[in-house]
Amino acid sequence: MTTLRLEAVRKSRPGNGGPPVEILRGVSLTAQGGALTVIIGPSGGGKSTLMRLLNRLEDPDGGEILLGGRNILEFDPLELRRRVGMAPQKPFMFPGSVLANLQLPFRLRGEATPGGAEPAIVHALELCRLPADLLPRDARTLSLGQQQRVSLARALVAGPELLLLDEPTSALDRPPGDRLADTLHDISRSRQLTIVMMTHDLRLAERVADHLAYLEDGRILEEGVAADLLNRPRSAGLRRFLDQPMETQG
Amino acid sequence: MEAQIIDLDLTRLALGYSLILLTVGLSRLRGIGQEREILWASVRMVLQLLALGYVLHLIFAIDHPLPVLLILLVMTGFSIQVMAGRVKEKMPAFYRVVSTAIFAGCGGVTFFFVLLVVGPDPWYDPRYLIPLAGMIIGNSMNGASLAAERLSAEMRERREEIEAALCLGASSRQASRTAVSSAFRAALIPTTNTMAAMGLVSLPGMMTGQILSGTDPVTAVKYQIAIMFAITGSVGVTAFLILLQGCRRYFTPAHQLRASAPSPR
Repeated sequence: MTTLRLEAVRKSRPGNGGPPVEILRGVSLTAQGGALTVIIGPSGGGKSTLMRLLNRLEDPDGGEILLGGRNILEFDPLELRRRVGMAPQKPFMFPGSVLANLQLPFRLRGEATPGGAEPAIVHALELCRLPADLLPRDARTLSLGQQQRVSLARALVAGPELLLLDEPTSALDRPPGDRLADTLHDISRSRQLTIVMMTHDLRLAERVADHLAYLEDGRILEEGVAADLLNRPRSAGLRRFLDQPMETQG
Repeated sequence: MEAQIIDLDLTRLALGYSLILLTVGLSRLRGIGQEREILWASVRMVLQLLALGYVLHLIFAIDHPLPVLLILLVMTGFSIQVMAGRVKEKMPAFYRVVSTAIFAGCGGVTFFFVLLVVGPDPWYDPRYLIPLAGMIIGNSMNGASLAAERLSAEMRERREEIEAALCLGASSRQASRTAVSSAFRAALIPTTNTMAAMGLVSLPGMMTGQILSGTDPVTAVKYQIAIMFAITGSVGVTAFLILLQGCRRYFTPAHQLRASAPSPR
């Protein structure tokens, strides 16, 4: 089981004509191997930027990100992204069937593509609660909720050590209820996967998080057991965030 | 038997200019406000072509490779400048990418075509090298502009797709393959269409010119066929080089889409 550790991670972006804007101001956090770590926080607080640093879609300006004790900058970026699966906020379906989408990680690596009945695909489908009869369907004709699950299955299918989920419920019109929570539980338990999820869905966070962190203005203001944080927030920032109506939190 | 070509004296040219004035009149009638542009463009064309005529006259008289090569260099420089004006959304390191591609693509094809296919003696014979290079560069410029413009648009529109592929372990080359193919296709379409329509819909300029100057139509047709081969090859190679190099500029060595890459509007 692979542990992810962030040590004083900093990231700035060019300002609009002015000086650079600091997005992450020294984020330190540990996502224990095999556990599900959830990061919550207001939009613009740095969640998405942080997510992009974890699989090197971007690199930090300072600090270290360690995967299994090794700085991620030491990995070959392609190798790293094979170890770190990511389901982005907006699920993107490549042209072709659901099966073709699930085979894509293998094709990109020049590996033999598993057929629909092969264990890697079947297991990913089961974990994401997708029926096998969806495989021949054109992926772009699926509902957003189904696309979200295909995106999750695609990130899982090649067996990553770390799974990153960026706002898995934000693209959905209705809350996914307990199905997504159960799915994440299943994934976490069956694969002994380390999962890091960014979400504004506090109910989902409470249900699934082994460890919860609150990120605001580029800093982790609080972290700990989900129930403690959500029921007894210590920082004024988290208290404010929890007091806001759900739809304005993201 | 070669017919003597009719010389167009100033009176005849002035009569021809009435067609430009007719267009200006029509523009004014419709109130589209293009009169000044049309007049300025026509004056520019006349001056540029007259200057070119005199320069060519001089170069033909000098009979040395240096001025010929110099004029090719100037033509290439202008083509890059025209392209820069035409392409609104420029890729990173636009000038370096485009200059290298035009020099390598157009230059390579021009010299291959002129030296090996046509084979004039001397090899730099300006009567062949300059007009053929002009046609090749001019047409390649259109294909190259299309390739550059389309690549920027594709990289912007497909940003989400490209990053989704990178997340799955794709290299920058794999992730941008669809964008590059689409831009390459766009660059080749006009030349392919021109080839397909040639002789049926359009009578090509070079062939018409040669026939007017008294060349046997069969010889003129053979030249036209050969120059179309060269133009197609040059458009293909130049666009390919622009896309190959241009695409790389959107990514870091760590297969990350650069922050400066355009985002969807």
